[in-house]
Amino acid sequence: MFWSKQWSMPRLELWEKIMQQKKAKYSFLMMLCIVLLGIIGPWIAPHDPTKTYYEAFMQGPSKDFWLGTDAIGRDILSRMLYGTRVTLTVAVLASVMTFVAGTLIGVTCAYLGGIVDNLIMRIMDIMLALPGIVLALAIVALLGPSQENAMIAIGISSIPAFSILIRGAALSIKQSGYVEASRSIGSSNWWIITRQFIPNISNVLVVYTTMFIGSAILGTSALGFIGLGAQPPTPEWGTMLNEGKNYLREAWWLATFPGLAITAVVFTVYLLGDALRDIFDPKS
Amino acid sequence: MTNVLEVTGLTTTFSRNERAFKVVDNLCLQVKRGESVGIVGESGCGKSVASLSMMRLLSKNGSIAGRIQLNGADLLRYSEKEMQKIRGKEIAMIFQEPMTSLNPVLTIGKQLSEGLEKHEGMNRVQSRQRVLELLTQVGISRANEIYHEYPHRLSGGMRQRVMIAMAIACHPKLLIADEPTTALDVTIQAQILDVMKKIQRELGMSLIMITHDLGVVAETCDRVLVMYAGQVIEAADVRTLLRSPKHPYTMGLIKSTPHNAKGQKRLHSIAGSVPAPDHYPKGCRFAPRCEKVMPVCLEQNPPLLDVDQQSECRCWLYRENRESTAVNG
Ligand SMILES: Nc1ncnc2c1ncn2[C@@H]1O[C@H](COP(=O)(O)OP(=O)(O)OP(=O)(O)O)[C@@H](O)[C@H]1O
Ligand code: SF4
Ligand SMILES: [Mg+2]
Repeated sequence: MFWSKQWSMPRLELWEKIMQQKKAKYSFLMMLCIVLLGIIGPWIAPHDPTKTYYEAFMQGPSKDFWLGTDAIGRDILSRMLYGTRVTLTVAVLASVMTFVAGTLIGVTCAYLGGIVDNLIMRIMDIMLALPGIVLALAIVALLGPSQENAMIAIGISSIPAFSILIRGAALSIKQSGYVEASRSIGSSNWWIITRQFIPNISNVLVVYTTMFIGSAILGTSALGFIGLGAQPPTPEWGTMLNEGKNYLREAWWLATFPGLAITAVVFTVYLLGDALRDIFDPKS
Repeated sequence: MTNVLEVTGLTTTFSRNERAFKVVDNLCLQVKRGESVGIVGESGCGKSVASLSMMRLLSKNGSIAGRIQLNGADLLRYSEKEMQKIRGKEIAMIFQEPMTSLNPVLTIGKQLSEGLEKHEGMNRVQSRQRVLELLTQVGISRANEIYHEYPHRLSGGMRQRVMIAMAIACHPKLLIADEPTTALDVTIQAQILDVMKKIQRELGMSLIMITHDLGVVAETCDRVLVMYAGQVIEAADVRTLLRSPKHPYTMGLIKSTPHNAKGQKRLHSIAGSVPAPDHYPKGCRFAPRCEKVMPVCLEQNPPLLDVDQQSECRCWLYRENRESTAVNG
């Protein structure tokens, strides 16, 4: 109830604007299709993704197996359809983690300032000195390879960059007249953070989170590719890419289709992020 | 009458790049119950910093010395948590910029309820009732619609009314209005001042009206302090100040108001501008712009002392009046 009241205007406007803009509209619709595939994939998959068809090892695309079969005779299309859900789940959950922790850290640092801010931001800087994927690798190495740990690793490794971006956005809110006015009637820190800061940076939050989902998909696939993500026989795009890379010459379809899927999804997410940024900030 | 506010020796220092400079220097001020006191001065003389100091709302690089007593309690001793209980309840403030003082993503109703729910422990239904009363009190018709409106639909004048409603929601004893009408059209200005006067009368509230416009002071205040370069240079009741200003700067200010310029072709203006806080001259801070400057003015900053029964003034011209009472300030 309080949600609908507080957010109804900005949310409606956002929806209208997405539908008005070509880039936003199409990337949004594409995204919707991908998510839909992730949800209904298991039901529309023509085969069992783990079932071996002994009469069809490494067969090219055909009437029975639209995208061909892999080295142990499993249907690639079915594996990819199941994999959509795996990849999206890992990426989205990782991004939720980044979003929650990053927003909390960024906004708190901006609001408090001083020593706390300095200390936390230095720690973030140090973490940021390592490329995200290296940090993720270190975390997976620590926790052991599995789908859940890949998610945790990707989530944690994006927190520094995310919180620094959010802190920057929140700092501009801190200077604003309405925060000062709100403090002048005795508002508590909690009220100012939850009612003044966060709603006012929601634009930035939406854009960055979208972008981070894109990177998280890449990260999930990368970890899968080097065997530190979802473990076989779980169908996962990065893992499939890895399995296919040895047969690029004999059986191009093994690596090509998962590769295309990763590219297409990441492209769509970035396109959507870009379009959202245009909508929120038409100047830049 | 008792003093609601007693400020003694308020000095606000900002430090920037290892250098510290006093933006407000030894400000003394008393406000009685129900009284309106004006603070007048040019842009940059430290009016806003003084009022933010009294609210304890300065940014972290500013430090406050002196004493700020509100109903006998020293605000400088309070923690931030304790100040949060006092702000809005005992002392409140209205800001210069109505266009940026309201949160763009919260409805008017939500923003006005905050203080009531916090200070008065009201629930949503009670606070809604009270917010609608408040909106009506500050002269907003259609209060019911405005309650659900977002700020961007309101004009500057409407927003300033909402800001007034927000500030007076919990009946503060003292309201500081920092140039509440500067950003508004002349006709709207008059309406806002009327609303403020009306509410002040209804609530028996004390008011500090900060402005650079002597017209606003004449209309709303009982007493007035004139500030220049961080210091009070003249203090008197409004009539005395307007009729017989003592300080050369005040005289210049009065001459430069449009009201006194009838028949003149051009408005009088005081040559030069306010020095920056890190470049205050050694002697009288007004000396570089003063028409009556004397050798002593360049050497020593005059103290603020009584000129006669009605006025205090910071100027060497009145040296002989105070030979007997000389104290350095
Ligand atoms: N946070 C700050 N840090 C450093 N210096 C500041 C800060 N805030 C204000 N100042 C300085 O203090 C001086 C007085 O500023 P103040 O805002 O009080 O002026 P004012 O009298 O309110 O002027 P105006 O009529 O333009 O509002 C200015 O020189 C300004 O640069
Ligand atoms: S002290 Fe001297 S310079 Fe200062 S205002 Fe008086 S006459 Fe002018
Ligand atoms: Mg000001």
